[in-house]
Amino acid sequence: MSLVLPIPLVQVLQAATIAAAAPGVSGVIAKVEARMQGRAGPRVLQPYYDLGKLFRKEALAPDGASWVFLAAPLGAMTCYLTVPLLIPVLTTFGLPLGYMGDILGGGFILALASFLVAVAALETGSPYAQLGASRAKTFGAITEPVILFVVFTVALITGTDLPYALAATVRSSASQIVRPAHLLAAAALFMVILYETGRIPVETHTGTNEFGMIEEARPFEHSGPYFALLKWGSAMKQLILYTILLNVFVAPWGLASSAQAGAVLLAIVALVGKACGLGVIVATIDNTFAKLRLFKITEFASAAFLLAVLGVFTLYLGGG
Amino acid sequence: MAVAAAVAPPGVFSGSANVIAVGVLLLEFGMFRQALLRDQVRLYAAQSALISVLAVVVAAARHLPDLYALAGLSFALKVVLVPLVLRRLLRGLGERGGGPGWTDIAGSGSLSLANTVLLAIGVAAFGVFSIAALGLRSPVLPATALSISVAVILVAFVLMITRRDVASQAIGFFSLENGVSLTSLVVAAGMPLILEIAFLFDLLVAALVFGLLIRVHHGRADSLSTAELTSLRG
Repeated sequence: MSLVLPIPLVQVLQAATIAAAAPGVSGVIAKVEARMQGRAGPRVLQPYYDLGKLFRKEALAPDGASWVFLAAPLGAMTCYLTVPLLIPVLTTFGLPLGYMGDILGGGFILALASFLVAVAALETGSPYAQLGASRAKTFGAITEPVILFVVFTVALITGTDLPYALAATVRSSASQIVRPAHLLAAAALFMVILYETGRIPVETHTGTNEFGMIEEARPFEHSGPYFALLKWGSAMKQLILYTILLNVFVAPWGLASSAQAGAVLLAIVALVGKACGLGVIVATIDNTFAKLRLFKITEFASAAFLLAVLGVFTLYLGGG
Repeated sequence: MAVAAAVAPPGVFSGSANVIAVGVLLLEFGMFRQALLRDQVRLYAAQSALISVLAVVVAAARHLPDLYALAGLSFALKVVLVPLVLRRLLRGLGERGGGPGWTDIAGSGSLSLANTVLLAIGVAAFGVFSIAALGLRSPVLPATALSISVAVILVAFVLMITRRDVASQAIGFFSLENGVSLTSLVVAAGMPLILEIAFLFDLLVAALVFGLLIRVHHGRADSLSTAELTSLRG
């Protein structure tokens, strides 16, 4: 196919793909999880219907909450739409805005979104939302060193910390994939993603049990379109993190190497397919392991930290 | 996009040696969180199996047929015989101890698990970087595997020091021997076979002695915990 898309359109498509596909990926994970438990499960498209229903509903704010409460979902959504511009979602080559920030820059924007949601949760005065916000920040501080060491590994392997550079290095030869540092960093990142998306060893994703809640407790007081934005945002965050793991670390194949319409379309299909594949793995973990007690989450984080630190050790000695 | 790799990936031999060494170290860390004696022994068997695989890799890469024999022998002894001896010696303690919890060694750590892991990471870093500081550079020596094997030995010490039950201490001692085997395979693959075999039989004796000690201790204190031993003080 010879139709060549304009580069800015490809750039917009990166964010649009993430926004449009994220609820679908969540739906697939929920469906697979239910099937594994022998339930029929919700429709794959159920998250879209949920969002549609919420967008038609009335928005309420608790007494005394300031404008921050209503602005936070919009701010968080803006952050989640910005990050896909920085990471290789569809293309192997860096798009013009792709060099605005490196992996750390993307991490900061994701952290900003999480901070905004936490501030909004504090605005409500509701104990559960505040508890969730405080827990999310506490455990976020524990997983932060893991992310840093993963970035160090990337920096040592490629000499830069641009996500496009690592994806290109991984694609360059098979020996880059099986080197221990790469495997350790990818495993550590996967564990952090399980934490960040609120999956089983850390948090029950769909549960309504307040005692174990972290991320899920924060939007308790939001309603209507604002709640929809928060739910959509957390689905997008999940797909963004999956994209980073897949397209940068584990499987950077199927990306478009040019702006041809066919290649870009194929890249969209490949991304959704790979994300659903990863989702099946996550759902399997969800159904296999028990949730850790809240105070055992540090052990989970320390295991991820161990993997990331070992990755840097092996690289430092030139053998990773 | 052409990207120059800052740290080039190692070759096949040192690459696989490094992967195996990292696996051995990870299993060593795994022993910190095991709560059942049976699982602890199983982890040790897995670690020993990795060492045997490394022996095969070294034998193939360096053309040392002796090492195939060593790999087979070390597999038979460390993966099959020692775990078997340990299980046989510890069988039946439960009935006398009055409960099925005799293999329960959970919570015997003197630090919390996360703290232990952080401490062990620090100790492992000391081992890794002190070997790196020696500046051993040789085309036939996988430096990473060597320094990680030293880290395995040090982390095994941490396991023996922080766990307060006889079983974990014994397993810590055996896995320390695994670290030593790893070092010798990486550094001196051509060491005479008879020496290696002597080490292996030493280990078998150690397994017997430790098993008996655990049994005697359990018979006196009705638990695997070494906390009881403080009452021996005059």
